[in-house]
Amino acid sequence: MPQVLVPTVCPYCAAGCGFYIAVEKERATGIEYMPEHPANEGSLCSKGNAALEILYHQDRLRHPLKRKGDGWARISWDEALDLITRGLGGALKKHGPDSLGFLASSKCTNEENYLIEKMARCLGSRNIDNCARLCHAPSVVGLNRTLGAAGMTNPIPDLANSKCIFIIGSNLAENHPVLSRWVHRAKDSGAVVIVADPRLTHTAWMADIFLQLKPGTDVALLNGMAHVIIKEGLIDREYINKWTSGYEKLAVVVQDYTPEKVAEITGIPAGDIVRAARAYAISPASAILYSMGITQHCTGTDNVQAVANLALICGHLGKPGSGVMPLRGQNNVQGACDMGALAEFYPGYRNADDPETAKFFSSAWGVSSLPVGRGLTATEMIDAAASGKIKAMYIMGEDPANSDPRSHHTRDALENLEFLVVQDIFITATAQLADVVLPASAWAEKEGTYTSTERRVQWGNKAIEPPGEAKPDLEIVCEVARHLGLEFDYPDAASVLAEINRLVPQYGGITRERLDGAGLVWPCPNLDHPGTPILHSQGFKLPGGRASIVPVMFRPAAEDASWEYPFILTTGRVTVHHNAGSMTRRSPSLIEREPDIFVEINTADATRLKVAEGDEVLITTPRGETTASARLTDRVKRSVVFMPFHFPGTNILTSDVTDPEARIPEFKVSACKISRRY
Amino acid sequence: MPVYVDISRCIGCRSCEVACKRVHGGKGHVNVHMAGDHASVPLFCHHCEEATCTMACFTGALYKDGERTAFDVEKCTGCGLCRLACPFGVVWTDKLAHKCDLCVGKETPTCILTCPANALSTDFELASRRARARAAMAVARGR
Repeated sequence: MPQVLVPTVCPYCAAGCGFYIAVEKERATGIEYMPEHPANEGSLCSKGNAALEILYHQDRLRHPLKRKGDGWARISWDEALDLITRGLGGALKKHGPDSLGFLASSKCTNEENYLIEKMARCLGSRNIDNCARLCHAPSVVGLNRTLGAAGMTNPIPDLANSKCIFIIGSNLAENHPVLSRWVHRAKDSGAVVIVADPRLTHTAWMADIFLQLKPGTDVALLNGMAHVIIKEGLIDREYINKWTSGYEKLAVVVQDYTPEKVAEITGIPAGDIVRAARAYAISPASAILYSMGITQHCTGTDNVQAVANLALICGHLGKPGSGVMPLRGQNNVQGACDMGALAEFYPGYRNADDPETAKFFSSAWGVSSLPVGRGLTATEMIDAAASGKIKAMYIMGEDPANSDPRSHHTRDALENLEFLVVQDIFITATAQLADVVLPASAWAEKEGTYTSTERRVQWGNKAIEPPGEAKPDLEIVCEVARHLGLEFDYPDAASVLAEINRLVPQYGGITRERLDGAGLVWPCPNLDHPGTPILHSQGFKLPGGRASIVPVMFRPAAEDASWEYPFILTTGRVTVHHNAGSMTRRSPSLIEREPDIFVEINTADATRLKVAEGDEVLITTPRGETTASARLTDRVKRSVVFMPFHFPGTNILTSDVTDPEARIPEFKVSACKISRRY
Repeated sequence: MPVYVDISRCIGCRSCEVACKRVHGGKGHVNVHMAGDHASVPLFCHHCEEATCTMACFTGALYKDGERTAFDVEKCTGCGLCRLACPFGVVWTDKLAHKCDLCVGKETPTCILTCPANALSTDFELASRRARARAAMAVARGR
């Protein structure tokens, strides 16, 4: 049988890289590159190159399972669906819809996220969320408020047109490696690259100006840059007058943030703050890129607003090379949010607090009523499970037991549930706690759309069959919904996309027929619309068409180094792993390159602690303790330590203090102590 | 025509390592070496003009084929002399020798195609041309 090349979208980060899966005799046998793809031009990072390794992994779930004592018993789909009907339906009848919690998945397709969100709300539950809560919830809140749209404003290749690229709180060289080709291309055309990070990351290697700030002091830095820009008259007065409101208030607030004062807070030399501010402001086209270093703080929303403020006062929005670019972490985290798998939004970012929203969707979905008001967020659901308010949960393709902060608490909470069903491709740490586990399909075994960080909606083709009795998530969600008494008759992903086209204005023209090739970039309201690669070129979707400048004040992180906990622990990713690691830790060519948990300690601190390279050290926070091997480095400053969060130990330590608005936990700053293990 | 590295561009993502291994049946020929905290260097066969591995190889399994240092697996005894002879540590042996074959039969070596940062190429002059372009822009901008 001849080899067939099936175009696909990489299942890891949100860059949305395309490649071909070579299929022979119904088996995925290899990868071919896709030079014609606009974002990656054929290139792939290590994770992309290893993507097929998980498909035939021995740990793949092949049959539904139910808990039996300390182990698992294989059951039929019929029995699994009966158990779920009794578990979820029982809790619904006995305790009401607020006792149900649903986690959608930023790994699954738009159609699957749309359906699980629809199921939750049709059952009357407002508690639907996804792990965007742990990565870019502050971008959704902060950018919707300031710019009127929560997405990367410009396409990835457009970075090549920038003359100044300011990367803050993003290690894109490791986490979105293909973006570095565009950053380098800009540099070749004379762009200045500024990187702000507590660590000297691989991304910092690209920097002309490197700002090594203390974790959690981003607002001070951004306000300090705004201070310099205003004081030196580098603002774009015309842009401010025409397109923004609130500038005068910002000018007053940032008056106090002199470079000297900011230097004291952040630990960055005052001269570098001035240099960075000038470079960003005077360039004809500047882009700001940010990721979890901005969002995963109890001041996450403030951080995002401070980023937007900087762009607005310089007029660096709405044209090639100029924009605000939140880099999303997962292949479809943008899409899961667009589809309304969020506690505060229905599909298309319609506000859940607005009764009109519920009215609109109840008539569209043909149900008598839908819940009004914001539900519990992913992290709040865990607390509600612990307190007994939530009785039953349905988790699709997420692993909160590893990815949420304060893992011990998360695990206790999930164990406290009366009923937990987890749908995944592997027995994750979360699935270990479930009553019923459903075998789902990996990305190459199903079809549907994925929305990348640049808002590009791409069709993922089915290349091979799922293993054993595993099914596509879309089929599973429909069956569960039907068993719970809902009318979910969707033959395939295309029929769900057709409904999304009708109900989500941004996706109005993104139909199945138009999605061959490199896809379309939302907003794309109708069939004739070519998509909108650059946002905000004609003003903002806010009252008066104006963006709103919302001044923010610096607030310190919830935890700081103290006598008892003298180090600040910050977390992040390494290049060969992805998030909670359920896929990359099972991928031989990735795990062999970074097999175990480690902690980066500054060389001077290590000497004082009598720790040598490779020593086992114990890291302790008030939440718990973890053992990791020490890596001595000057990448982190003194009194800051870094751990990757791909291994189960790290989030035992992290803090679950959340941002008051976006409810994102402060993963990036936890006070800890370190001792050598003897 | 070996693969040249633009060190200023390498981001240490190890994609070339994984891709090389993928297309060579699990036996990769690239090693990305972390050089302290500030740089990473992918190391692979230089296809030396006067290749010491070919001189050490007593069966003629390693030989010069134009610019390429080629390898005839049928002749290899797995003795490991090539590994000792290579000054860059980029020939390795298990039961057989393994080294970069420039993805013979493919138009472009896989590592070049996969490199997210465009750090690899077969163009010896490319890194210098890019450096000159950056320098020229910096002069023009007065920095």
